[in-house]
Amino acid sequence: MTEIGRPVIRQGADGGVPALRTDRLGRRYGKVWGLRNCTIEVPAGAVAALVGPNGAGKTTLLQMIIGLLEPTEGQVKVFGRASRANTTQTLARVGYVAQDHPLYRDFTVADMFHLGRAMNLSWDQQLAVARVAELGIPLGRKVRHLSGGQQAQVSLTMALAKKAPLLVLDEPVSSLDPVARLEFMRDLMAAAADSALTFLIASHVVAELERFCDWLIVLSRGHVQLAGPADDLLGDHRLLTVPRATADSELPGTVVERIDSDRHSTVLVCTDPVQLAVQGHAGWQADPVSFEQLVMAYLQRPAPTVDGDPGPAAQRPWPSAKAVTR
Amino acid sequence: MFRFRLDGSSGVPPYLQLVHQVRQALLLGYLQEGDRLPTVKDVAADLVINPNTVVKAYRQLEHERLAGGRPGQGTFITAAAAPVRPEAQDLRDSLEAWLRAANEAGLDEAAVTALIAVARRDLSKERERAR
Amino acid sequence: MIWVSWRQHRSQAIAGLSLLAALAVFAILVSTSMRSAFSHDGLAACLARSEGISCPAAITGFMNSFDSVVNISFWGVLFVVPGLIGVIVGAPLLGRELELGTWRLAWSQTVPRTRWLASQLALVTAGLVLLGPAITAVITWYREPMDRLTGHFINRAYDFEGLVLTAYILCAFGFAVLTGLLLRRTVAAMVAAFGPWLVIRLVVEFMLRPRFQAPLTLRQSCPEGCNATMGLDAVPPQTGHIGDWVLGVSINAGKQVVTNYQPASRFWDFQFIEAGIFVVLTAAALGATIWLLHRRAGWTA
Repeated sequence: MTEIGRPVIRQGADGGVPALRTDRLGRRYGKVWGLRNCTIEVPAGAVAALVGPNGAGKTTLLQMIIGLLEPTEGQVKVFGRASRANTTQTLARVGYVAQDHPLYRDFTVADMFHLGRAMNLSWDQQLAVARVAELGIPLGRKVRHLSGGQQAQVSLTMALAKKAPLLVLDEPVSSLDPVARLEFMRDLMAAAADSALTFLIASHVVAELERFCDWLIVLSRGHVQLAGPADDLLGDHRLLTVPRATADSELPGTVVERIDSDRHSTVLVCTDPVQLAVQGHAGWQADPVSFEQLVMAYLQRPAPTVDGDPGPAAQRPWPSAKAVTR
Repeated sequence: MFRFRLDGSSGVPPYLQLVHQVRQALLLGYLQEGDRLPTVKDVAADLVINPNTVVKAYRQLEHERLAGGRPGQGTFITAAAAPVRPEAQDLRDSLEAWLRAANEAGLDEAAVTALIAVARRDLSKERERAR
Repeated sequence: MIWVSWRQHRSQAIAGLSLLAALAVFAILVSTSMRSAFSHDGLAACLARSEGISCPAAITGFMNSFDSVVNISFWGVLFVVPGLIGVIVGAPLLGRELELGTWRLAWSQTVPRTRWLASQLALVTAGLVLLGPAITAVITWYREPMDRLTGHFINRAYDFEGLVLTAYILCAFGFAVLTGLLLRRTVAAMVAAFGPWLVIRLVVEFMLRPRFQAPLTLRQSCPEGCNATMGLDAVPPQTGHIGDWVLGVSINAGKQVVTNYQPASRFWDFQFIEAGIFVVLTAAALGATIWLLHRRAGWTA
């Protein structure tokens, strides 16, 4: 029995207060909804990835979490406390590295830390100084004389020194060259290991996501398509190879994506092993799905109808068969 | 210090890869009882992976009683390398014979690996159906 | 926040102080010779005796020597300087933050953005309220000998002495802060603020200022024939009292010279009124900025 593809959202196993919880969060810009009906959860201590193409609503969601943007509807709770945009309590709870890691170019690194100390309630100057020393960034150098990677590091250092329990990074590496990218992620993973912080990292790059995140949120066209623990989500999906004539209704679980060949179809289903065993057929082949395949399939689902009701599962046509309609 | 590696294209979840590498190293003698595994932070930084993944792998190893954490000191191998069981030695011999036969039949490494994968898949399907 | 505001405006503060210093140096250089000529030509004594009526040659000579330094075109240039100072300081305050995206850093620390803005405005306004009077003081000191001949009421003295210079700067500043928020671009904000400021300046100075209070009228009969060739800038003016601001001189049918003027005693009243206009405009612009920032939920990207 299949249901029309619904967003797959899992809750964390831990009973503790989640680092982040949103409840039907939405934001409208004029007539357009940048984000709608977003209900997600990120457990404390997780390194979560927020994946979606540009314009999917990632920055909108992140800014509402941080407290820079007021929701049109719904609510954000950070560690159990409701957030209100532009209030001290809300701003103090979340550290933020914005896209392209903005800094004051005329300031020295020491000046930036002074700013952090002046504008935050809690500030770990020792941590900040120690980190840049370890990274080989001189305190007296002006920001505009730092490389892109170093600027990103300074931004991250400031967010860490703020001592907020939740850290949000908006595409932290997309403007960096590959070497700087690797170094930044290496450093970020080390910082995550050193602390009990919760991380939420937005990215539009799907490759290599698997190694960084243990919690996944897939956002597309302003709606959450998939959310939950990365391992569980992988375990709950299978790539089935079935005869072409098999109807969607005969397939176990939910059909996410279907590719039809002449005699067979490859179907990505969201199911569990028991269901698969019960409904499985001799002629079927079930393979695990890779992280990238999973994310890409959910990203390519058609836009939901009004009210956030998801549309039918994506049918991927052969490219030359018909013109792509938008 | 034992260093892990990560195969991004293998399709195997990272934490399982780490667990496998420890199991394999124990079998081959590269890890011995009492050896200290690198810290979570070191592994996370070395492989550029999520430290939670490393924690999960180490917990799995603890669950299998292969390794254990000593508070404040790190994670240490607790199992001695399992002695090779006689059945396993027989299996090993017949495997080597089979591989030689496959080689002579003209199968290259990739074909051998594919063959093994297909056979395993068929076997696990049988098992699932049998349940 | 005080340190943050200071550090962000440090180079502007240094530029302002340099400007002040340069102005002071210039003032000292020119004023020295002006002052010595003033005493050398015996103008002080002449003024004391007869308010300048008895020494027209000396006055003409003095003014020819030094009025070129403070003449109309120079004043025309200086006219815009307070506006430039105001927009150069005001436009980047919000304009640059929004243009470069650093607002995402500044407003995500722990200081709410309206408090951030209020602190910035307070500090910078305080700085301008120190700079304005300082510039005014230097120019007033520098013009002192000349002012004893022309009075303070004429445009090229009035615009730089008293209270109005500071008020002009503040108004341009206020406009530029607002346009910076609306346009999110520094240079565009400067232009968009300067235009209206200039228009208002011109309207207030040339259309409203003469009428802040009803002008007085002096009628002088001239039995021997009326001589109305005296210009508006004559020293001493038609009223015979240095410091009066002559608005118009005409001859009427009854063989009288009719002079419309504002008496010198009203100088400070006028300064207060005009400064008041510009301060109110400043407050309105800054108030609107704070309100808009508070109300606006967010900016895309």
